[in-house]
Amino acid sequence: MSAHQITTSVLLAIVVLLCWVGSLGMLRMRQPTQALHYLALPGMSTVVLAAAVFIATGNSNAAWKTVFIAATLLAINSVVAHATARAFRLRQLGHWQPRDGDPIEFVRDTQELEQ
Amino acid sequence: MNLWLLATALTSIALLPCAAMCLRGSPERRLVGLEMTSMIVTIDMVMFVIGSGRLPFIDMPLALAILSFGGGLVFTRFLGKYL
Repeated sequence: MSAHQITTSVLLAIVVLLCWVGSLGMLRMRQPTQALHYLALPGMSTVVLAAAVFIATGNSNAAWKTVFIAATLLAINSVVAHATARAFRLRQLGHWQPRDGDPIEFVRDTQELEQ
Repeated sequence: MNLWLLATALTSIALLPCAAMCLRGSPERRLVGLEMTSMIVTIDMVMFVIGSGRLPFIDMPLALAILSFGGGLVFTRFLGKYL
């Protein structure tokens, strides 16, 4: 096994692990806003994936497109996560701007949900 | 089966929790599951393209990455305003 293959294997293992941890962590969280945080893990794995593609294919068109995919997913992830959290707040409170009398944390208590 | 296709298959397993998230629970949880699914499928497609050796098909995950942005925002807006 060459150094290239070993490096690619390690990088792909990291990608798979990040996807698994992100997916399982998202499922385990009780609150949707908590689950939203786990979107970052597969987003970060795209950077590792781009490195693996660069090692496997060299300075190719596919490698640069993978870099573009990684950059796109990273940028999109932050925007979509913010917009989604704002929609959750809008759905629960009827408005997303802070107002007098709003609870500091809009995430409800787990006990409150279980009642 | 090469290393890339093996990684594709293993990453596909991560779609099962996403399916569980999308198919039950509140609309908020389902939306988060959908966003996670689109991200993992994009990663899966990149690995499949490299593993199958058909590099021109890298445009497909690229298109999915860009379109999932619009799709996610549409669902988000719909959830916040109407659902």
